[in-house]
Amino acid sequence: MRTGPHRSGGLRFLSTAIPIAVVLPLIVAFHWSRLGWRDGHVNYPSRPSGYTQIVNRFGQPCNAEARAISMSWTAADNGVTYSFRFHRKLGGLPTAMVSDKGGKSTNLDNDVYGHIQNAHLQPYIKHGIYGYACRAKRNSNEWSTHAFGIAIDVSSAEEYMGKCTSTVNKNHASIWQNHGWYWGLAFCDPMHFQYATNY
Amino acid sequence: MKRRQAIVVGLVVGVTASAGVIAAAAGKAPVRSPKGPPIGPVVRADTGAGELLLAVVGGVYSSRSEAEAANEALAFGDLQGYYVVPVAQFQGFRQQVGEPGEFALVSAFRTEEGAQAFAELAATLGIEATILPERVRSLGGLYAGLGQEASPDGTGPLLGPVAESLP
Repeated sequence: MRTGPHRSGGLRFLSTAIPIAVVLPLIVAFHWSRLGWRDGHVNYPSRPSGYTQIVNRFGQPCNAEARAISMSWTAADNGVTYSFRFHRKLGGLPTAMVSDKGGKSTNLDNDVYGHIQNAHLQPYIKHGIYGYACRAKRNSNEWSTHAFGIAIDVSSAEEYMGKCTSTVNKNHASIWQNHGWYWGLAFCDPMHFQYATNY
Repeated sequence: MKRRQAIVVGLVVGVTASAGVIAAAAGKAPVRSPKGPPIGPVVRADTGAGELLLAVVGGVYSSRSEAEAANEALAFGDLQGYYVVPVAQFQGFRQQVGEPGEFALVSAFRTEEGAQAFAELAATLGIEATILPERVRSLGGLYAGLGQEASPDGTGPLLGPVAESLP
């Protein structure tokens, strides 16, 4: 019978392959948390609604706090590392993964960024990433949420303004939303995440 | 009984009068924001007439429609980028860019810091942005983005302004 040894070889292969298949993802995946990352969820400001609450919580447009913290994020598609700034209340607190930047919370640079890395969603961060900008909204004279350092645009070339569906950011939007960010897809701006509503 | 009624009436009148005085005082007190002087929800249409300003230029076109089409195509996302303005509204502009057209994509600033920040934003988005080496004098006209920089109300620390560029 030729099938006996063949079967035992197959069993031996399976007995090796199955443990590897189980253990390898545990070793390779979740490396971000293995490096020490944890969702700190420390000191998040409550999310303001409307201009007055935004000013009361984050200050006037273009104030120094609005651009106090910086971080870098590399786009997966073109490999460019974008540096951008955001409000002191939305990050910059020291953690295992973030140096002390003089910030007040763990929101953006530790928690949102860490979750995206940990869930292996970095391939869905595409080029065109920016944060603080002392500018008005497009075709408007109202201050943009970017002027308060409370808005981040991600994958801006692909998730352009006016597009009412999402092809890239939909993969990580829930992470932003779970950390207080409002997704601009609701007003056909899928690149845009802001820490405010009704504005 | 009358005495008790008098006390109750007196208390009601007294409390009402006090509340009125407090409300009036609160109404007259200046509303101060703990976050600095209010700038307001809209960008003031400040043309900086007569001031020397820094101009960041995204292109010069022969007609307004060409300039507007080019501006619309720029990928500033949800932010307002350049403003389409006639070249003639800035004294010293034409001398620096030559004679390529009558309408330009411009954003004007009072400070070096503001102009640099905008140029960097444009560069991040792959958009052309040239800071003219010499300041230009605004003759008024259309709004060209002035005030969209740190301390846009002009009261804050304007880094590197010249005296004539102060509001």
